[in-house]
Amino acid sequence: MHIEREQVGSDVVLKVAGRLDTPNAKPFEASLMEVVSMTDGGIVVNLAGVDYVSSSGLRALLVAGKAMRGAKRKLALSSLQPQIREVFDISGFSTLFEIN
Amino acid sequence: MATPAAGTLVSTIDVGARIDDITDATGWLGTLADEQGWPDATRFALELSLEEALTNVVSYGFAGTDRQPHIRIECWRLPEGRVAVRLIDNGVPFDPTSIAEPVVPDSIEDARIGGHGVQLMRHFLETLDYSREGEENQLTLVANAAG
Repeated sequence: MHIEREQVGSDVVLKVAGRLDTPNAKPFEASLMEVVSMTDGGIVVNLAGVDYVSSSGLRALLVAGKAMRGAKRKLALSSLQPQIREVFDISGFSTLFEIN
Repeated sequence: MATPAAGTLVSTIDVGARIDDITDATGWLGTLADEQGWPDATRFALELSLEEALTNVVSYGFAGTDRQPHIRIECWRLPEGRVAVRLIDNGVPFDPTSIAEPVVPDSIEDARIGGHGVQLMRHFLETLDYSREGEENQLTLVANAAG
């Protein structure tokens, strides 16, 4: 898993590449929560480079999403591959996040 | 399905009981997918389901026990282009098929963390069967690989 960080206006864009699986979920969650705590604008997680996600990866996004919602900040997802989108749809996560 | 009687055993692997050992199992399955020429959807279904099942076993199967973990995974070729992956462990009894579907939340505030693994397995697999055989959990994941 690889994460690139870029400031776009008031948002931080995180470009994630690789697998959001159980072994990678904790480091992914830690990276997300670091950005949540170190910035005060919106966050966009670009998943174009992610070809696999399990419920552990969903969990990491949910933890960050709850923290952002509590702080009244935006956490959006973008560029989901079809199989990744299917995982989000089945688990009901598509309705929880803004997906671009 | 206690025994895939009409099937052919293709490969087995023993894996450890740590989170990082899951990579050994999914790597083994990925190699099999290449060798057997499974469609991408079959590979995804089995890999995701095996990871979800194995995550439960290594996270909860041996917590609070002093038993030495034994986790074995088998891959079976079944009739009519189907594939079975069977996860066998000597952890505490746990039947994932008994887990209720999580309620789809209305908002992120109401969303419960966890419980989605079995939901995903049910969606992506043809069948998901559990049995307790002696001191072992046996979970059999079946997907169609006919393409």
